[in-house]
Amino acid sequence: MADLGTMLWKEVAELIGNRRFLRIFALAVLIMGLVPSLESRHAAAGANPLLTLLGLFYALFAGVIVVAQSAPDLVLHERSGRTLEYLLATRLSDSAIFAGKVLVASVLGYTSTLLTAAVQLLATNLQHHGAWTWSYLALPQGRLLILGASAALCVYLATVGTFVALRVGDQRAAYMVTMLSLAVLAAPLLLNLVHLHFTMSWLERAVALLGGLAIVLVALGVRLFKRELLVLSLQD
Amino acid sequence: MPEASAIVCRGLGRSFGVRPAVAGLDLEVPSGSVFGFLGPNGSGKTTTVRMLLGLLPPTSGTVRTLGLDPLREGTRVRAATGVLLDQVGLYDRLTAWQNLEFAGRVARLPARERRMRSEAALRRVDLWDRRAERVSGFSKGMRQKLGIARALLAEPRLLVLDEPTSGLDPVNIVMLRDILLSLAEEGRRTIFLCTHHLDEAQRICSLVGIIQAGKLVALGAPDQLGTGDRPAVRLRCTRLDGAAAASLRLPEGATLQPQSGEGEYRVELARAEDVEGVVAALVAAGAGVRAVVPERRSLEDVYLSVVGGGEHG
Repeated sequence: MADLGTMLWKEVAELIGNRRFLRIFALAVLIMGLVPSLESRHAAAGANPLLTLLGLFYALFAGVIVVAQSAPDLVLHERSGRTLEYLLATRLSDSAIFAGKVLVASVLGYTSTLLTAAVQLLATNLQHHGAWTWSYLALPQGRLLILGASAALCVYLATVGTFVALRVGDQRAAYMVTMLSLAVLAAPLLLNLVHLHFTMSWLERAVALLGGLAIVLVALGVRLFKRELLVLSLQD
Repeated sequence: MPEASAIVCRGLGRSFGVRPAVAGLDLEVPSGSVFGFLGPNGSGKTTTVRMLLGLLPPTSGTVRTLGLDPLREGTRVRAATGVLLDQVGLYDRLTAWQNLEFAGRVARLPARERRMRSEAALRRVDLWDRRAERVSGFSKGMRQKLGIARALLAEPRLLVLDEPTSGLDPVNIVMLRDILLSLAEEGRRTIFLCTHHLDEAQRICSLVGIIQAGKLVALGAPDQLGTGDRPAVRLRCTRLDGAAAASLRLPEGATLQPQSGEGEYRVELARAEDVEGVVAALVAAGAGVRAVVPERRSLEDVYLSVVGGGEHG
């Protein structure tokens, strides 16, 4: 745990010094937060929370963008900055290095989703007093998706992005594979193998399943990640 | 209780596919010594360092670093080792202080200890006034110095330095060399120094190994390597013609070879003390002995003779 804390400290300190990433983060939150609130006039007319579901997808998408960008970047920056070999030559364990990267990318994505939802709520309330009552956040389903599903989704994507970046070593490839892994999640729905229901019981099962998948992936990543593989790539 | 040898390699080898990067390396580095690891680019130095640190498993032979098996106890080996690799590996987005803070956290030093050691390390390399600056603005020399400070922070028993003076201007080379010399004089830790600078190895190292094509081709103290297998002296004589030279009664095992200069000879001896017998034989033959100089080749001569003088870097 101490090693994980050390990795987190380093990653956060680096992110604070990464203006480019901070700009992407702020833009994702502001755009995904403000655009759906402009659409909220229609919802206000009907006062139906389901009509604001678009905002939910915007908030989730903000997290997806941030994770897909940051997970590979956290690894590949070590390569381009030539710090990877130093990191591997420290006493930090393989699992701490891998889990540290995954955790930071996940937290960043999750934070951006929550911040986006907060911006949406604030912006909509500024336009329409009492907008909370007809926001998707007023529904238990909306809260489950924004608080639960987004967390599981961020961990899932961060694990894929980190692992691919460690193995492939290419930003674009890692980004593409991460986004493709999102499509893999959506495939059962798109192929009509599973039908989406907006009931609490169905959503709870889906979120639990996604969470379980994310945890299994993290465990698999920790098990499969070996610093020797990275050293071999450096040797080349 | 510290072990007698900080590093022991027996038949150590590592191949990549069919290409051997290191082949049958036998090496023993005594604890507290400064070992210079010399060799051309691609000779296997970096691969050896990676195996010593447990970053790469060997494909043959064994290695013990600080008495530990790096493959199975890599974490313990790396915890007791400070490294300054070929790529210094400083975090550009962090300040000098933050880079040391990270190293201190990695070493699990308490916060107070981290602060004290970071300050001492930065003062030692003359970067205390630049501690709050991001490393991205640092020159190559400042980076190398900060890299050394970071490697020393946890007071490691083994210090691995890969080309610490590479790419530096003469002023910074001298400054960094002074730091290395003071570390060597402290004698508290074993230093494994990979370097291309032969004069640096000659000045700093107590033991030198030359690796070529993955094989150790020379090993010994820099002065010993310079004397070769047999001691030799260079003579300058007068009144010694070819016939007289051929009939000299030299000590057993000694051979005299005329050199290109007039009256100049090279005498290989069985033992260093036989030089007195050689001088006596010359005097007895009526020669005038003007100079007797023990032959000592520089490390550069040794290096070029064993590496072949091709790639010298």
